[in-house]
Formats: sequence, structure tokens, C-alpha cells
Amino acid sequence: MILGYLGAGALLAALVMGAFAALLSLWAGAQENAVMAQVGRRSFFAAAAMIALAGVMLEVALLTHDFSIAYVAEHTDLSTPTALLVAGFYGGQEGSLLYWALVLAVLGSVSLAASAALGLRLAAYATGVMAAILSFFLTVLVMVASPFDLLVLTPPDGLGLNPVLRDGGMLIHPPVVLAGFASFAVPFAFATAALLAGRGDGAWMAHTRRFALIAWSLQTAGLVLGMWWAYHVLGWGGYWGWDPVENVALMPWLATTAYLHSAQVQEKRGRLRAWNFGLAILAFLLVVFGTFIVRSGVVPSVHTFAISAIGPWFLAFLFICIVFSIVVLALRAHTLGGPSKPVEPISREGAFALQNLLLIGVVAIVMWGTILPLVSGMLGQERVVGASYYERATGPLFLLILALMAAGPLLPWRQARPAALRSLAWPGGVAVVALTLLLGAGVRSAAPLIALPLAGGAATTCLMQYARIGSSIRRRSWSGVPAVLRRRRRRYGAYLAHLGLVVLVAGVAASHFWQQERDVTLAPKQSATVAGYTVTYTGAEQRQLADHSELVGSLRFGAEVLQPSLATYASLGGQALTRVAITTSPVADLYVVLAGVNADGSASFRIFVNPLVSWIWAGGTIIILGVVLGNLGERSAVVVPATRRVAELVHS
Amino acid sequence: MTALKWAVPALLVAGCVGYLILTATGGSAEYYLTVSQLRSHAGGERVRVAGVVQDDVRKSDGGLHVSFTEKDATASVPVEYSGAVPDIFKPGITVVAEGTLGGDGVFHATTLLAKCPSRFSTTPYTQ
Repeated sequence: MILGYLGAGALLAALVMGAFAALLSLWAGAQENAVMAQVGRRSFFAAAAMIALAGVMLEVALLTHDFSIAYVAEHTDLSTPTALLVAGFYGGQEGSLLYWALVLAVLGSVSLAASAALGLRLAAYATGVMAAILSFFLTVLVMVASPFDLLVLTPPDGLGLNPVLRDGGMLIHPPVVLAGFASFAVPFAFATAALLAGRGDGAWMAHTRRFALIAWSLQTAGLVLGMWWAYHVLGWGGYWGWDPVENVALMPWLATTAYLHSAQVQEKRGRLRAWNFGLAILAFLLVVFGTFIVRSGVVPSVHTFAISAIGPWFLAFLFICIVFSIVVLALRAHTLGGPSKPVEPISREGAFALQNLLLIGVVAIVMWGTILPLVSGMLGQERVVGASYYERATGPLFLLILALMAAGPLLPWRQARPAALRSLAWPGGVAVVALTLLLGAGVRSAAPLIALPLAGGAATTCLMQYARIGSSIRRRSWSGVPAVLRRRRRRYGAYLAHLGLVVLVAGVAASHFWQQERDVTLAPKQSATVAGYTVTYTGAEQRQLADHSELVGSLRFGAEVLQPSLATYASLGGQALTRVAITTSPVADLYVVLAGVNADGSASFRIFVNPLVSWIWAGGTIIILGVVLGNLGERSAVVVPATRRVAELVHS
Repeated sequence: MTALKWAVPALLVAGCVGYLILTATGGSAEYYLTVSQLRSHAGGERVRVAGVVQDDVRKSDGGLHVSFTEKDATASVPVEYSGAVPDIFKPGITVVAEGTLGGDGVFHATTLLAKCPSRFSTTPYTQ
């Protein structure tokens, strides 16, 4: 009870501080009032502290089973394991909004703490924009979706957790996705603040580089973890279904990927300034759009989210963000013209620019597929598109992006002379060899014949970058290699991430093109063979566990025993849960689902053989490793000298 | 001049994207219908229809084949489906069936999607 009052009070205090910070900072920026800008920033820190306090209150309430709070009673019960009690924080609508606000408050505070070097106006406006976003979330938390609402009567026990969600993947997937979403508010706030302050230079970008990387890494990890969870728990043999909920998580990732690449063009060559502002803004707008779609239930999805009062709030927020972004961009567009000499098409910056256009093209295709039910519903009969739409429309663009991954890194900046193009022979050669091998292996369909050789070429290009370290220091000694790797870690980390993506693409392509699937009904001791994998049915048994019963069908596969099962939760109205049995090797996964057991003792199974699925998880891990290793201890390019300059001024 | 140099590749990519969207939508967009609208789409056209599973669920072939009646606010239709049935499938839940309506008036589903719970809780407290 007391926790509920304290938490609600903390949220209200945070809202007051946040709104105060927003108004004061925007005013201080306009007036260039250093003292008030400082006060505004500190109010933001205070709001962050209040949100953290509210977070602690909710977590304590969950852990101590305080069922007087509706949120605790609706999402946990006395038998919920501690790990899932902790996860209950972000498991429901209200808690996940609080989690969003908490991530934004923490990352926002970190980004603002060192922002004084960016100049008074930019820093003050950034505080203002970030505080405004935070205030929106706090308004929703206080007014329509409070996690601290109290029940009239305190029930003796809570309702507990849906068994589909009682899974390890569910502990880490949602917080990673949500944190990835929330963290992109930082680049957005600094980008719009730079526009408001009339600062067309790249200072905002250098300052938020790390936050953009954190956001991108979290979004990448969130997508891969979501695929992992779907593959291991949902039991349909796949990992990506082009559901609206997946699409709206993919779109900000694509835009952020485009941004990370185009930011380098500005960093190295001072170009694409207006485009970079646009991308940073677009990525955040896509995050807000995704949150609106997911929380409002306006498009048909297999995920039914609690359709609650917050949909209209997010629609209003999305509208305000779009209008605000357009106004600030239009206001400053004339100041953002780059150097007048156009970009040479055959050059590194040309490759980046084309890659950007293609990624935004993919965003457009995914966006159209996602909103088609809405648009067609308004015009008449509602229509939907399935996976085949997305595959057919995005496939060619993804293949072109893969080709750019093979060619782009080998092109020099400014302009490629014919001599520089000779290095393209390596990836080209590997692609031709791969194509020959595939043709020799009897592959005849076009898509894998294009995709896999291109992936081979892209991998070659990355490996060439590492081979060049060897050739550049051969005359000295091999002991120089670690030093070069460390000094240029950003570069080599980026190529490691590219390599990870190639591994992931190979896994996606192989499992997509060559998945095999068969439904079999087997009597005891009878065998079935799918794609060379033979399994023998040995028998079924019924097991009674504490809160559910399990029907287990056992299959012998070599020396292994596979035990797919069907669990039934009597306490939850007899809800069933399929448990898939998967045995993994680097070549393929054998994926078995128990459909049921018949009266005559036979059992029915659906058996999948999914080639190279483990490469997807490995590739995802390598990508994250590349980003982390490439940026550990890396300092922002612009902010450090500026801080030093200020320090020198103060001390002189 | 700079703007022009940019406009050409941008328009080219935009054109390709537009073409891809148009052809792919035309080839695979399906109507999302209510059960009563289904009658006018008989005969091989792939459509989706959402409705609540009624109590007459019959499973056969070890659970790999299922037949039931799907009902929404407008009408009801018998549905036949072969394949892995979603976990939470049972009378009373909402499913989206994707397939074709046969001449016999039976909807032959090739995909059966159950609305999956994305919340930690099962049912909210009603006070």
C-alpha cells in the first residue's frame, strides 16, 4: 500500500521536474542564459532520480508480493520465480512505459552531463527536447497508465504469468528492445537542438555517436533475441514472420543502420549534413510510430497487446514529433548546403549514399506492408499482405545492399581511379567460385544463386581489410599487429560487424531456401527420415508436475533422445504449451514438434530440418562483438578538444 | 546543380521501390474479411478471416488435422485445417484463418494464427 503511494508520488514529482526542465531549458536556450540552462539541466537530473525511485518502488513491490498494487497482482503470483518477478517490471504495459522512461532518463542524464562543451544554446535546447519527451512518458504514466494503481481489495494471491512468456528469452528480449528504442531519443534530441540553435556542424553527431551505437547494438540484439525466442518457443519452425510487431522493430533498425553509415561521410568528408539530420530524426519517429502501432492495436497482428487508453496519446505524441521535426528542418534547411562539388558515384561516399537510399527503400516497403490494412480499410475493404509480399519486394534491395557490402569498402574516398578498382577482383573472384560450386551442387533457383555468392564476396572484402594489416607492417614485425588493431579498432570492429552480418545472412538464406518439413505419424519403434536425418519413435508418457501436466513423445536420433512435449496448464483454463525439441549442429537444426498421441499408441510429429540456423545466432553475436570491441575506450572526436579548450580558458 | 545530381539516383531508387511495392502487393495482398463477406469471395481466392472458435472442435490424425466452426459478429463458417495447431488454440479464442472458401461452403485454411498473448498476465482483474 505504502509503496503504491510512494511510487505514484515519485512519478508525479518527476513529471513536475521534467516539465519544468523542458520549459526552463528551452527559454534559457533562447535567452542564452547560462544560469537557467544549468538549473534546467539539474531539474532533468532530479526528474531522472525521481523516476529511478519509482522504479525501485515497483521492483520492491513485485519482490515482496504487494498485491494491493493492481500491476503486481495482475502480472505475478506467489509461485512466480524470483527472476520472473524482477522481469515483471517491464512485462506489462504500465511497467514497460516506466522502464522506457527510466532508460531515457539515465542515458539522457549521461549525455547531458558532458554537453556543456557543445555550447550553451545547443546544450540547453537538447535538455529541453529530452525533458519534453520524458514529460510525455511521465504524463501517460501519471494520468492513464500508472503502475501504482491500488486495488480496492487486496487479493491473497496474484494472477501469475502466461506460460508462453515463462521463458529465459522473455527475461532479456523485451528490456533490450525497449532500451534500444528509448536510447535513440538521445541523438534525436541533440539533432533537433542543433537545428534549433542553428548549428549545422557535426558537433551534435560526435557527441551522440556513442548513444547511436548503443541504440543500434541494443536494437540489433533485440531483433536477434526476438528471433531466437520465436524459433525456440513458438514451434512453427521459423524465426521471422513479417508480423507488424516485428516490422515496427525492424524499421528503426534499418534507419539507424543507414545513419551510422552516412554519419561517416559527414565525419570524413563533411558531406550529407542535411541528410544526417533527417535520418536521426526519422529513426526516432519510426520508434514512436512503432510504439503507437504496437500499443494501439490499429493493425491486425498475431500479438494482441492490451488495447488500452494509451493509443490516442501515442498518436498525438507521434503527430507532435512529426510536426516539430518538419518545422525545425524547414527552418534551417537553407543553412545546411554542403560543398558545391557533387559526390562522385564511384567512390566510398557514393557507395554509402546508395546504401542509404536502398535502406530507406526497404523502410518504405516494410512501412507500406504494415499500414496497408489501415489505408485500405479507410478506402474500402481491408487488405493484408503476407510474407511473400515482403520477400518479393525487399529481396532485390537486400541483394543490392549485399553487393555494396562487397564493393563499397574497397572503393577509396573522393574518386576511384581505375587502379583502385582492381582490388574488386578478389570479392568478384570468390563470388564466381561460389556460384560455380553452387551450380555444381545442383542449385538451380535464382535467389540463392545470387545471395550466397554475394555473401561470399562481402566476406572476402572484410577479410581483405584484415589481410592488409599484415602486408602493411610485414617489413617490421608481427608484434605490431595488436597495436595496429588497437589503434584502428573502430575500423576493424566495423569490419568484424560486417563479417557477423554476412554469417547471419548466410544462415537466413540457407534456412529460408532449403528448409525441409514433414508431418509424420509413427507407431512405436517406427522410423522416419527427413533430409537424411532419421528418427525412431520410442514411446510416449504422461508426466504430472507441480502446476502442469506434460505429454512427452520420445524419439531416438543416433545416440541422442529428443523429447518434444505438450504441456497443459490446468490452473490457466487448460492452456496448452508446445515444447519443441531441437538438436543443433553447425550444418543444420533438427526441429521436432509433437502434435499429439493417438489412441492406437502412435504419435504425430511435425519434423523440420533447418540448415544453418545456428549461423544466425553466431552472426548476431559477432556483430555485437564487433561494435563493442571497435568502440571500447574510443573517445568522441569533437567533444574532447572542446572540453580541453574550456578547461584551458578557465585555468588561464 | 548539387540537388540535381542527388535527385537522379534518388528518383531511380524511388522508382524501383515503387515498382517492387506495386508488383508485390498485386501478387500477394489478401482481403481481410468478416465471415459474412466471405460468401462473395468463394472460388479459389486466398483471403483471411478472423473469428472466435466455437465448441465443436474435432481433432484427428494425432492432432495434425482439425475442424471447427469460426464465428464472428456477422455469421459463422466451418473451417478445415491440416498442420500444427497453435498452442493456445481452443474454443473461445480468436483465430485468423488464411485460405480459400471451397464450393462446399467449407473454409480450407492453410495457415491458422492464434492471437498470441503479449502480456505477462492472463486476464486483467475485474473489480
